[in-house]
Order: sequence, then structure tokens, then C-alpha cells
Amino acid sequence: MENKMKNSETILIIGASGGLSNILCGLLGQNHPNSKIIGVDSRDLRNEVENSNFKFKKMRYTRGNFEKLFRENDIDIIYHLGRMSHSKNTSANEVAQRLSLNLMGTNRILELSIRYKIKRVVVLSTHHVYGALSDNPVFIKEDANLRASIKYPELRDVTEMDSMCTNWMWKYKDEMDMIVLRPCNIIGPQINNSISQYLRSNMVPAPIDFNPMFQFIHELDMATVLMNSKDKVPTGVYNIAPEETISLHEAKRIVGTTTFPFPLFLLSPVAQLVKKIWTFPDYLIDYIKFSCIIDGSEIKKHIPKSSLRFSTDKALKLLNL
Amino acid sequence: MLPILTKEDKKEIDNVFNELVVRYGEREDAWGLNLRKACNNIKYIYPLYKNYFKVRLFGKENVQDKQYMVVSNHSGQIAIDGLLIGTAFSMEIKPSRILRPMVERFFTSLPFINKWANECGAVLGDRDNCMNLLEKGESLLIFPEGVRGVAKSTKDFYKVQEFTRGFYRMAIKAGIEILPVAVVGAEEVFPYVYQAKGIAKKFGLPALPLSANYFPLPSPIDIYVGKPIKPETAISDDPADSEIDPLIDQIEAEIQHMIDDGLDNRREFWPIMKENKGHGHGE
Repeated sequence: MENKMKNSETILIIGASGGLSNILCGLLGQNHPNSKIIGVDSRDLRNEVENSNFKFKKMRYTRGNFEKLFRENDIDIIYHLGRMSHSKNTSANEVAQRLSLNLMGTNRILELSIRYKIKRVVVLSTHHVYGALSDNPVFIKEDANLRASIKYPELRDVTEMDSMCTNWMWKYKDEMDMIVLRPCNIIGPQINNSISQYLRSNMVPAPIDFNPMFQFIHELDMATVLMNSKDKVPTGVYNIAPEETISLHEAKRIVGTTTFPFPLFLLSPVAQLVKKIWTFPDYLIDYIKFSCIIDGSEIKKHIPKSSLRFSTDKALKLLNL
Repeated sequence: MLPILTKEDKKEIDNVFNELVVRYGEREDAWGLNLRKACNNIKYIYPLYKNYFKVRLFGKENVQDKQYMVVSNHSGQIAIDGLLIGTAFSMEIKPSRILRPMVERFFTSLPFINKWANECGAVLGDRDNCMNLLEKGESLLIFPEGVRGVAKSTKDFYKVQEFTRGFYRMAIKAGIEILPVAVVGAEEVFPYVYQAKGIAKKFGLPALPLSANYFPLPSPIDIYVGKPIKPETAISDDPADSEIDPLIDQIEAEIQHMIDDGLDNRREFWPIMKENKGHGHGE
């Protein structure tokens, strides 16, 4: 059993067409060449994965054939990276689709994990669950309240998905290991989340009245943390962030893109006006107003120091590759 | 006449901030302290400190090269005492240090002010925040009277208001000495007219003291630094209120005593006004 866990386990990656999954697949292929990796996503695979042990299946997680995957494969580990992001979805239809995927999909994944006796589930949540609020302390710990949906109901699915996973984690702690990861802003050439788009874009508004602090983790470091979560991290909830912090203005300066100074109270209406061309979700305006700095010390007790190799400067400079 | 930054002042500030960069590093910290911007800001504040409010600092020999929790009385409707104490600790006390003033929650949501205050070292007055700063070796500046201190009516000028207990609990937990500070002269900078409590409540403000003027009057200000007070170690890490209340009362009394002595020693307002007009700046 021990040998299997280390060398030839079957790994299911949910949300496999994302940039982070691509990198994770590559790392797993290099470090665990005997593992069998199955990737599923409701979207097409974006990039070809160079790993002969990798198989991709396009499917929705709420459909019957998803269960067939569990029945026909002796899955050991699940990576749930399939949270649908908010960056491009604002219409009522799209919000409904997102809710369905993020909540119903997660619920189904967890149910199947218990039914098919999966040994370990690693869930990718986000630091956004804590919310960007003016009274956030610096270095928010994992046991802090999830306040993201206080102001923005559109973040409800994110906080509920996280809460659902942590509830399951404690409820079934004797039956399976579950690791919930809440990373800071993941950036890198293959990541296309809202903050990456904001940093990469030229002529975007930069607040003149606020300058919050940020934490950034490079995509490769995040994929390494995910890989290490497979066997080095015990059940629990973990913030993922480097020790370094940087202000928004400084981050934009390092990336080298241009901004135009703008008072934040005008930013929300402007964001509404340019929504068609600039996909910047409303809730994220508060994240460029107030800091949401997390304490990433807990996970560092379990993963090798070499897991976080990229400095903030380097990660930002590599963003435009 | 508004005081102007002289070449000597600029050189002095640059020297101090070169020292501070060695101590704190070039980069902004997690709370947003930005030494380069703080240096630029102090170039506006220092001439006011030195030549407008003509601040005198007493008791600097009580400050060692170590971490402190600086605890002061709070005064003056629009509180400028934090700025002046911070300037004293960076410009006049050696080695220079950036005190991290704890600010009210509502303060952190204000545009521009929030950004400016963070760049100068101010942080949210939240217990987790304070403990994290203490763990990093920073010195805090705390006004345990809170809003009660700044929103006093004239009859309560220079009377220390009841302290909250949080600062003492943190000092016990962190094992850090408390440095009592008294500010004399700041009550008159923005003369009190009326406390608009109803309007403040409606707009979610902690207080709305109305003043006769919103341009600071050049009241001469004295800052007194007392002898450090070691937090009681014979009590538990999480003591009952009844255990710490007498200890907090002693600190309140100490600061009140320093204020009373300072009032006896204070300079008159009008002669200083004349001096300001006559000399422009520089004592």
C-alpha cells in the first residue's frame, strides 16, 4: 500500500484544462512516472500535456459518466482544481452555471470520494474567501472568518465551497484525508485569472487613494505545493503565500505595464461601463482597495523549503512571458 | 507664516532615513510602511513639528535601543499628537525608529488618508495585527483612551480618560515594556465647540467633534517620555479584568501626573504666536 501511494497511484485531476493543472500534470509526470493521471474538465484541454501517463476526458462533473470514472478506476487521490473563476462571468446565466459547478459539482465530488473510498482529496480554494475588508488584520490565519460574501454575494459560492469542503473534512476525517488550500494570488504566464489580467494589461486604472499590499505566488511554486500536498501535508486547511508582500503600485511598476491614476470611488461605475472589453469583476475592486494578507506559515511546516522558489519580483517579471 | 524645510532639516531627515533603511529595509512591509514615502512626508511634517508647534521633547534619556509599547494620552479633536510623537521618535530619539500607531477601524477605510497613514507606518488597531507587529520586533504607539481622548469637551482638557485594557493584555503576552508618554499643548490646536454625536452615529463615524477652526493653531506642544514600566509578570497570560485594572490605573495616574507637571511648565500661547511671526522658523 505504502509503495502504491508513493509510486503507482491513480490521480484524478478535476479542472484539468486550466494552466495550473497543466503544470501540475507535468510535475507529477516527472516526479511520479508510474502514476496514472486522469484529467477531467467541462472545457477542452487548452494545452497538450507532455505526460504519457495522462489521459484527458471532457465531461461535466454532475453527469452520470463522471461516476463511471470512479467505478472503473481505482482512484487514490483527487485534485479538485475545478472551481470556475469569476473573471469572465457576470450574466445571470453564467452565475447560475458557476454556482452549479462550484457547489453542486463539489458536493458530488465529495460524495463520490466517500463512496469510492478515495484516500486523499486536495481542494484548491482561494484567499478571496477571507474578503478584502478595511478591518482585515495583516496575516490572516486559517481559522479566521470567511467574510468575502458579506459585501459581494457573487462570492458566496467560493466561501460556501470552501466551507463545504472543511465540513466534510472534519466529518470524514477518519475515512479520508482532505487538504483545503487557500493560496494568495497565483500568477504566471499560464494563469489567466483576474489579477493576472489586471497586472498584464496596459492603461488600466490604478487607485490613487489606496495602495493595498498583495502576496503573489508563481504558478510553478503553486503547482509544487499541490504536488507536495499529495503525500506530505496532513488533513487541514492551509493558506499558501510567500513571506514577501508588495504594494499594488509597486507590483504594476515591476510588471512594467502602464496605468492611469484614478480615484477608487469612480472605479466601480467605470468598471461597469467597460465590462464588455475589460473583464474585471466588481468584487475585485475591493481587492485593489484593501489588503488581504494571509499567514502562510502553517503549510511551511510540512512542505520542503524549496517548494517556494520564486521571489515576488521574479514572479511579477515572468508574468509577461 | 508657514514653516519651510531648510537645507539643514532636509539633510537631517535624509541622514535619519538612511539609518532607518538599514534597520527596516528598502521594501514596503506587509502593513504598507514605505520608508521612501514616509521620508517625503516627514519633510512636510518636521518643519511644522520644529517651527510651528515648537515641540519640546523631555525624557528622551528614558528610551533605550529596544522595542516598546508607547502609551500616550490622546487629545485635540483632530488628533495630531500621533504625528508629533512619531516624528519625535524618528527624528529626535537615537537610534531612530518608526513607531507604529494603532488607528481606529473607520480610519482604514478612508481614501487617501488610509494610504498616507499606512505608508507612514500606521496600522489597524486590531489585536492580531498588534501581536503580529510585536512578533516582528516593532514598537507600537497606542492611545488607550481611544476616541474618548480626542472627543473631550473643554472642561475635560488634560484629564486622562479611562483606558481600555487591550494594550496591557498585549504587553503581558508579548512581555514588552510600556513607555508612558504625555502630550501637553495639543488640546488647543483645534479648539472644541461641540460634539455632534447624532450626526457621527448616522454616518458611522466614531466621533464628530466640531471645532472653531480646521486650520491648526500654533499651540506650543511638549512631549514627555516617562520611565518604562514592566508589565506584571506575576499574573497569568490571560488575567481577569480585576487583576489588571489596578495596574492600568497606575499607568493612567502616571500619565496624568506627567501632564499636570507639564502644564506647570508649559509655554504661553500668545508669546509663541509672536515669536512665530517675528522669526518665521527656528528656535
